[in-house]
Amino acid sequence: MRTDGGANDAALVHAAQRGDREAFGTLVSRYASSILNITSRMLGAAGDAEDVAQEAFVAAYRSLPGFQLGAKFSTWLYRIAVNKCHDALRARRPGTISMDVADDDGERATWEAVDEQTPHWELEQVELAWELDQAIDALPAVYRESFVLKHIEGLGYDEMSEILGVHRDTLKMRVYKARTLLCQSLAHLAGAAVRGIKV
Amino acid sequence: MTDAERLLQRFLDQELSAEERVQFIARLGRDEALRQRVIALEQLALAASRLPRLGVPAGFVDQVLARTVPVRPAASRWLADLLLAPRTLRWNLASAMAVVCLVAAAAGAIFTSVASERVTNPAGSASVGNELARPVLVRLVVVQPAANTVEVAGDFNGWDPGRTPLEQAPGGAWTVTLPLEPGRYEYMFVVDGKEWIIDPFAVEQNDDGFGSRNAVIDVRPPRGSV
Repeated sequence: MRTDGGANDAALVHAAQRGDREAFGTLVSRYASSILNITSRMLGAAGDAEDVAQEAFVAAYRSLPGFQLGAKFSTWLYRIAVNKCHDALRARRPGTISMDVADDDGERATWEAVDEQTPHWELEQVELAWELDQAIDALPAVYRESFVLKHIEGLGYDEMSEILGVHRDTLKMRVYKARTLLCQSLAHLAGAAVRGIKV
Repeated sequence: MTDAERLLQRFLDQELSAEERVQFIARLGRDEALRQRVIALEQLALAASRLPRLGVPAGFVDQVLARTVPVRPAASRWLADLLLAPRTLRWNLASAMAVVCLVAAAAGAIFTSVASERVTNPAGSASVGNELARPVLVRLVVVQPAANTVEVAGDFNGWDPGRTPLEQAPGGAWTVTLPLEPGRYEYMFVVDGKEWIIDPFAVEQNDDGFGSRNAVIDVRPPRGSV
């Protein structure tokens, strides 16, 4: 899902550190999609995701001279993007960063697997994507960012821990609770787009 | 989380030992509700991984680059290059030593005239040009009598204050001398490792793009240099 630059990233960063703006432009192109997806899903549909993504890249560019070449560029960049999202969330709601975490003691949704693909499969997938997007948007921020990094960006817990500055065991709990909350939110789609859900 | 939830989480994250996993799968065969729950959670992760990716708007890269200014190589890198070139090394060490002596001699006069918070203007004063070498020695001075440490972060050190501590001088002043190539540099002082302050008497200040302002120093080539 996400781009894995490997050693090539290091070469581009090294060139960018020496003032090669074209090299930095290549890095922006490479990670624009991932950063935009992170900012848009963390910030929801409020519309400032693109601007925050740009701010993340600009901040990264300014900090390039201090970047240690032994580090992983994508992890470093994601951390900047996540911090920019936190800043944007604080600006929206002064005094909070939407760290409101609901207790997970509510009813449990269960899903039913359906093997057959119906003629409406594609339409159902579009509906599912829309519903899932809405449900992710409604998650508490700490659950949302963990779920997005884990299941949409496909990161491992160690890298997530480095990006978010949160212990990996805590992140596992957050991802699990995010999944559970999303199951509850999507329970109304019983038997439909998500290949069958029933409560 | 309850023990049951933690077990489920560990199963989903594939953290169970082989023995635990066998036991859990056996339990799934007996517990229909649990089986449905596991399927639901796995389906959700699958659906999330298949969510359509947002496209990158046209012109996004150009807009980012338009918001950046060229990066100068870090001073440490420049110094490394300088020191690795024997021909340059001889000229700079000799000339730098001479300039340091001049700066030290002038320091007393500067500090005794301190009456305000600021001692020297970094953009104009205390920059001593080396007539033979490209770098210019620039002296930064700020008065912070209550500080335990003062550092400077800027374009010249990768914005890493740890690389450039200032030394305490009489009168509550802190000072450092930097060899800089001619050019424009933004910087801020860092007091006690946590408080970032702008040089209040900097001739020029620049918006850093993040709601704050940096001091700007314009290092000019020494007179008579090519």
